[in-house]
Amino acid sequence: MTIEMQPPVKLKGVGDGFWVTLDPSVSEDKLKEEVTRLFERLKHLTINARITLDTGDARGCENLIANIGTFLKNTFDVGVVTTPPAKRSVPLERIRQRDLSKGWTQHRSEVLMLRGRVRSGQRIKAKKHIVIIGNVNPGAEISAGGNIIVMGRLMGQVHAGDPDNEEAVVLALDFRPTQIQIGGVVAAGIDENSDAVAEFASIDKGRIIVQDYLKAEPFGNIPWPEVI
Amino acid sequence: MEGKIIVVTSGKGGVGKTTATASIGAALALEGNRVAVIDMDIGLRNLDVVLGLENRIVFNIVDVVNKRCKLTQAAIRDRRIENLFLIPASQSDNKDVLTTAGVERAAKILKKEFDYILMDSPAGIEKGFENSIVSASEAIVICTPDVSSVRDADRVIGLLYARSITPKIIVNRIVPQMVAKGDMLSHEDVMEVLSVELAGLVPMDEQVVIATNMGMPLVMQNNSKAGQAFRRIAKRLNGETDLPIQVPTHKTGMWNKLSQKLGFKK
Repeated sequence: MTIEMQPPVKLKGVGDGFWVTLDPSVSEDKLKEEVTRLFERLKHLTINARITLDTGDARGCENLIANIGTFLKNTFDVGVVTTPPAKRSVPLERIRQRDLSKGWTQHRSEVLMLRGRVRSGQRIKAKKHIVIIGNVNPGAEISAGGNIIVMGRLMGQVHAGDPDNEEAVVLALDFRPTQIQIGGVVAAGIDENSDAVAEFASIDKGRIIVQDYLKAEPFGNIPWPEVI
Repeated sequence: MEGKIIVVTSGKGGVGKTTATASIGAALALEGNRVAVIDMDIGLRNLDVVLGLENRIVFNIVDVVNKRCKLTQAAIRDRRIENLFLIPASQSDNKDVLTTAGVERAAKILKKEFDYILMDSPAGIEKGFENSIVSASEAIVICTPDVSSVRDADRVIGLLYARSITPKIIVNRIVPQMVAKGDMLSHEDVMEVLSVELAGLVPMDEQVVIATNMGMPLVMQNNSKAGQAFRRIAKRLNGETDLPIQVPTHKTGMWNKLSQKLGFKK
């Protein structure tokens, strides 16, 4: 196992100044030491330079920034010390509006949609989702990188989320596959003579579970349509 | 008018392809057509035995395809049924001696000579199967009400569709008593999976064994239920498309009939 070592202080020239990225999880003394090491190499270039102190996404570092700022002013005669400009945040409401109006027009969802009967010995493979309007006979194999939806009777072998997408689901109006695989989890089909109800399979705690689609409503809690 | 080549196939072995070929061929000939039945199971020939013509074989289909003899020399005329001809398979070769090009050439000659050419395909989906379907215009897929047979038939139907041949199904060896008890798939169950046009339903019949062993065409025996079913299938193939499909039923006693009438039994 390799642990990626990030230097606590990174220095970058930006326009007429320097951008200093600090790791706030490291102690102040250590940071000062590292800053000194880097700034000594810059020699006279630091005099009156504009310095931007960036602590990334970390919050509550005002003290640290102020201390380092004064330290730099005193030691290296730097000019103005600032913090990075706050990222312009788009109000959540506006994101929603944009998504609701035209979220899917920007996207091209890759779905292989077929109609008719898939017979024994036929193998259908797609990079993303597969929708089959018709039945899938025993002995047929369907494999998709995303979800598999069968608008009919599913009796063949299905593999959704090939090879490792465990978020994928398999949905069929009459769900009785011989074998089902989602991501890397395999389950054998159970031959129960239940009535034809729309059921779907998904992964829950590392196991494949099958539920009544209309009762469980797996996507009912997604408030607005999103492209998958 | 050119003759029709109908291939009889199944995928799975032992479901009654040869019996069906012999019976439908004989029935079509009885209807007044010039019929050739061809055994494409090179190396494992059976059709000649079923038709009782084994002792008259001189040339075979391999000789015809490889131009070692004329078609008329290889075709054995059945003496009991007018206009029924058998072209046997070779017993000493294997399936690789035929090429699809050779079969196609022979098929052209056959089409000129006969009204119906029935090809008895070997089991499996390899070379022998390819050779027998290459020039076929129609296909009959035989299946029995077993899960394994239905699975293989489904595969074969897919392969036939891929070559733009629309198959018809014959469900063979139906035991009505077992279907009624729910121990055997019904023809509805089979058709639900296969969903292609049904050519006919054939009940299990002891007469098939007797007829096969004696080399007598099944359709010539009036007391054979299977023979009657094959005659109806032949009539349907021969243009009587509105002839209804008879679902095999078992003979019921008086009490059963009575209770059926009264609505106690389905």
